[in-house]
Order: sequence, then structure tokens, then C-alpha cells
Amino acid sequence: MNSANSAFYKKDILPVGAFAAVLLTMPFWFEYVGGYSGLDTKIVIWIIFAIGFDILLGYMGFLSFGHAAFFGTSAYFTGLMLLHYSDNILPAIAVGVISAIIMAFIIGFLTLKRTGIYFSILTLAFGEMLHSMVLSTLQDWTGGDNGLTGLPTPMLFGLKMQGDNVFYLTVIVAIVMYYIARRIISSPFGLMLKAIKSNQVRLEYTGVHVARYKLMGFVISAVYAGVAGALMIVYEPYVASEFMGWHLSGQVVIMSVLGGVGTLFGPMLGAAFMLYFENVVSVTIGEQWLLVLGAIFMLTVIFLPGGFVEAGSKIKKKLMGGSK
Amino acid sequence: MAILEIKDVSKNFGGLAALGDANLTVEEGTIHSLIGPNGAGKSTLLNVLVGLLEPDVGTVLFKGQPVLGKAPYEINQMGLSRVFQTPAIFDDMSVLENVAIAAYAARDGAYAFNVFETPSSAKPCIDLAKETLNDVGLFEQRKIIASHLSRGDKRRLEMALCLARGPDLLLLDEPTAGMARADTENTIKLLQRISDKGGITMVIVEHDMNVVFSLSKYISCLAQGRIIAEGAPDEMKGNPKVIEAYLGTESEE
Repeated sequence: MNSANSAFYKKDILPVGAFAAVLLTMPFWFEYVGGYSGLDTKIVIWIIFAIGFDILLGYMGFLSFGHAAFFGTSAYFTGLMLLHYSDNILPAIAVGVISAIIMAFIIGFLTLKRTGIYFSILTLAFGEMLHSMVLSTLQDWTGGDNGLTGLPTPMLFGLKMQGDNVFYLTVIVAIVMYYIARRIISSPFGLMLKAIKSNQVRLEYTGVHVARYKLMGFVISAVYAGVAGALMIVYEPYVASEFMGWHLSGQVVIMSVLGGVGTLFGPMLGAAFMLYFENVVSVTIGEQWLLVLGAIFMLTVIFLPGGFVEAGSKIKKKLMGGSK
Repeated sequence: MAILEIKDVSKNFGGLAALGDANLTVEEGTIHSLIGPNGAGKSTLLNVLVGLLEPDVGTVLFKGQPVLGKAPYEINQMGLSRVFQTPAIFDDMSVLENVAIAAYAARDGAYAFNVFETPSSAKPCIDLAKETLNDVGLFEQRKIIASHLSRGDKRRLEMALCLARGPDLLLLDEPTAGMARADTENTIKLLQRISDKGGITMVIVEHDMNVVFSLSKYISCLAQGRIIAEGAPDEMKGNPKVIEAYLGTESEE
């Protein structure tokens, strides 16, 4: 039995190890593919966001169009903590993530009773409600359209959180959170989330409190969004009002679909691709880059509904078939 | 001892009485069949039992506990499982996963944040799932995605799913509808075996009289929302009221 257990843990070592190796070595190779320092940190932050989003969309089968609500709430609270309480990032991140969790409990409780398009529209509505609150009602605290400015340089035990320090912090967080996501997915809890996607009614009649699982799945995904939002402020001490907006919610959807939902790896790849495309490839293409990105998205959805991951497995199949 | 007591249950759908003062007692350990023409209220009664429908009046006691007003998952956790008329399974998951879900629900109750499961802690559940699949004859197919199973096998899978939950009472809604003769015979044998082995009480809604008479210890006949006749299979054979309910009388036509 113990050997079964160790084999079980080994199953995670390879993918998590590979993930860690790629991220940790990024500063050494990223500039050779046209990247620049800083963009790598941003990619890692978005990867964290995308992992959490996949737990909700890919595994539980709920498409949220309002995930910026959690990214943004956490970003604002992290920013406010840095501004008014202390430049230490630990309490700031903690408060940021907790605020996202509370927000997720409230929004999740109110939206998860509905499925499909109704759930998506409700989350979008809640997201935009928060967005407009940030812009108008709460602008004395949030800085309205200008965002939250004048934040101090974030610190961690006397260490300035800039450049490489931020990069390695986000990478470590990303590795831990990727590992946790893998464990969640392969656990009985993850099995219940997949069962929700498959047949909610059957699950309810199997004696499972479906509503609680849904709420927890939603909150877990909001934790990832909250961590990403908080790290974004550590990376760049400025809270933009767009962090709360539907554009950001839409971006994480597009990334996940491009990469291939329900695989964890797909949305991570999608996030890296999107940011790389937006910041590096767009320079080569010029003004029309958004058009090209749109075309790529459309072609992917039409011909490869499983995203990049599906493309990868198709190529792999071809190669394996050819070698026979 | 009575495991299920239905007392004076009525349900109206916009003036149409689907159930009118239905009274029914199911004894523990028996196979009890509900028969009756289409529209007699059999499905409505099952829906009331599992918490899908709330009746207008009446009480339902399961193991002496009131059932009405409870959520479906709570009723299931009390030990009452239902096999639906069209197989309700987790289509895009493997056969083994389907049953494992039920095994976890049996072990962990309605909710558990069991994220740190290891193979050795999960083993009892997986073993139970495999054993149950073996019982219904689906062990060889355990790695297949459920949607690829034949219709008959889907039903067997749903039965396994309900059985792995460890119910005291199993409700079966037309378990052999649309099955070929041989499949029906297999299902009869399977249900008989389950009943003999686990002492699980079963309530079966069925139109196939061959199934009803080969399995049941007790039969209740519903017509127009009321129990019009009940008794052992021998007493029910040729009961004029039952024949009348199925064929109708001249005066009605």
C-alpha cells in the first residue's frame, strides 16, 4: 500500500518539476525569444489566475464572466493595505486574498443556483457592479478612474520587492498553487466537481450536497484569482481600475479556451501565449495584432475545440502513428 | 416491520389529482411492485418519495423518520436511492469513477473537503466500487467511458451507483423498459440476487407483468391516484379491479 502511495506522489513530481524548471530558468532564456524582464513575472501571475479559472470552467463546468471581481477586489485591498497599513507584502496579500474569498462566498451564493448562460450573465453583472462601484461610489478610497496610486515599494523582511525578487516570489507561489490544484483535481473532492459538470441531478440523488461543492469550487477558483490580483500589485505597485473590469474577465476566458480547458496545463499555456503575443509578437505584427489574435482564437475554437492541448495530442498521435 | 409508510398523500397538478389519499406500506426486506396504467400516479409517488415533488397533504415516513420537506441529498443520505426511468449516470466519466462517486458519498456523507486523499485511504471506496461493479456484471467494462455503454449496461451502471451508496430502500422506475427479452431476464436475476444478498428493500414500478410476478412479494395497483388493490402476487392475478384498471370498463368508455 505504501508503494502505491509513493507512486501516487511520484505522479505529480514530473509535471510539477517540469513546470518549476521552466519557470525558474525563465530569466536565462526568456530574452532570447524576445521577452523582457518583467513580462516573465506578469506571465507567471496570469498562469496562477488561469489555473484557478480552469478548476471552475474546465472541471466544474461553470463559465464565469466576472472573475475580475476577485482579481480586482484582492488587488484593491492589497493596494490599500500597502498604502495605509504597512509596506510589508504579507499582511497585504493576506487581506487581499481574504477579501476575494469573502467576495466569492457572496457572489457564489447568489449566482451558483443558476447554470449555463444565466450563471455567466449573473457573474458578469456582479463583476460590472463592482467595477462601477470602484469607479464612482467608492472613488474616495479607490481613486476612481485614475486607480490607486502612490503606493510605497512593497517590502518583504527588509527585501525590496522589485525585479528578480518579485519574479522568484511569484514563481514559488505558482509552483505551490499548481501542485495544490493537481491534488484537488485528483482527489475525491475533484471527482465531485467533475461529477457536477457531468450530471448535477444524479449527484444530488447520490446523496451529495451539490450546492456546497459548487460553492467551494467557486471559492477555490477565486482564491487563485485573488492571489494573482495581490501579486500583480506587488509586481507593479499601482491598482488600475481595469483590474476590476470585464475586459480582464474576458481575457482569462480566452486564454483558457485557447489553451484547452479541463487540463490545467492548457490554460497555463494559453496565459503564457496570450501575454507573449500581446507584448512581443504584437510589436512584429504592428497595429493589426488584435485582428490576428482574434483570427487565431476563432480558428482554434472552430477546428480545435480542445485548444492547444488538443493540437498537441493530435500531433503526438500522428508522430506515434507514423513511427509504427 | 414497515420501512416505508405513505399516509394520505395527495398531489394535484392544476386541478388534476395525480395522487388522491394514497396509502402504502412497504415491509422491510421485500420486493414491492407498483403497477397501474399510464397516468395512475406511480411516477408522481416516486417523485414525492425522493424529494423531487412536495405533496399537497400527507406524510411519508422512512424508517420512522419524516421525509417530506427534506432535500433530495438528505433523503438519499437517510438510505433511500432511486434508479431513474432513463438512466441517469455521469456520462463523460469512466464506469469505475461513476460508482466511486457513490462510494465516496457513502463514506464521507453529503459533503467533505477531502482534498488530501491517498491511494491507501481511498482503497476501501475503490474496492467497494469494484465489488459492486462485479455484482452487476460490469467489472470488465470499468475503464470505459459511461456514455459508450449499451442502454442495458447503463441501467446496470445506475443500479451499481445506487447500490454502492449502501441504501436500505431502492426505488426502481421501470428497470426493464425498452430492454430485449434476454436483458430483461438478466435484470430479473440481478434484482433477485441483490435482494437475496443484501436484504435491500425494493420498490419497483413496472409495466412488464413477467418482471412483476417473478420478483414481487407484494403488489400494489394504482389507478387514478389511488391504491385500488394490493396483495401477494397470487391474490393479484385475475383480480377484477386490476383488470378493470388496465382495460377499462364499458361504462367508462
